[in-house]
Amino acid sequence: MKVEYKFFVILSAFFLIVGTVYGVTTEWDEPVGPVGLYLCMGLCLMIGGFLWWTGRKLDTRPEDRLDGEISDVDGDYGFFSPHSYWPLAVAASAAVVFLGLAIGWWMVFIGAPLVALAATGWVFEYFHGDHAI
Amino acid sequence: MTSVGTIVWLSSELMFFAGLFAMYFTIRSVSPELWADKTTALNVPYAAGNTLILVISSVWCQLGVFRAENGHPVRTGKLLEIGKWGMREWYVLTYIFGAVFVSGQVKEYADMVHEGITMSSDAYGSVFYMTTGFHALHVTGGLLAFLMIIGRTFTTRRYTHTQATGAIVTSYYWHFVDVVWIALFATIYLLQ
Repeated sequence: MKVEYKFFVILSAFFLIVGTVYGVTTEWDEPVGPVGLYLCMGLCLMIGGFLWWTGRKLDTRPEDRLDGEISDVDGDYGFFSPHSYWPLAVAASAAVVFLGLAIGWWMVFIGAPLVALAATGWVFEYFHGDHAI
Repeated sequence: MTSVGTIVWLSSELMFFAGLFAMYFTIRSVSPELWADKTTALNVPYAAGNTLILVISSVWCQLGVFRAENGHPVRTGKLLEIGKWGMREWYVLTYIFGAVFVSGQVKEYADMVHEGITMSSDAYGSVFYMTTGFHALHVTGGLLAFLMIIGRTFTTRRYTHTQATGAIVTSYYWHFVDVVWIALFATIYLLQ
């Protein structure tokens, strides 16, 4: 994972420098730039730090070795849903809620239980019964 | 793979809060007299207590994660044998602490409204309710996620790796929301 985490750590160093330059040139008088740029640093540090922390726990992956072959990376990648209508239900009910913010609160109260129902359906789709993953 | 996706999403959430922080600091810098006038309504010791509750809930959450990683979704002893608690018990405790935090926020909002600070009263009110409100919505979303993670342990027979991953990424979210609150608390209550 060396390449991945270094990529994000370099980016975060870039944002640290740019944020400081921005702050100095505006005499720290304009808060949006430093806040945005320093938190961009945070964004990159979060991902980079997580990749570094994960990479430390894993064995060297085939893509990290010079003699790695494509066939070395086959195997179990986890579970992927073959098809599901629940995301559609979540999106439709969330649309009712957000439309309610624009039109009237009464729509939010209709939409919120639908969101709860759809989200529960989505989350539990593969986690009940005999074939739970 | 789920955990990497969660971290990437949370990093984008960080930029969402970056927008809120930028808004706060900008309005604060252009109308300092509003801040001098309105921040006296803040109840800092009360908010500090509430912050402590949220931070402690993160500790309980992490203890639950350790149990989930060891493959212990439920307790192996009696309810009062805390050492034998599983992920479920620790997450229920986290849920209670998180719910107390949100309820505490509701009371704080009521107090602020009594002081005459509302969403539409002035710029300070808008900024205060926007930042803390969006955070409270995130905490509420986290509480619902905990319910689903706990619920999964009831609807399945085996506690699988996929389930443990779900518990772990929920804890990532919870810790993230906790850290954001510490930053918000420092900005709104300590820095004023």
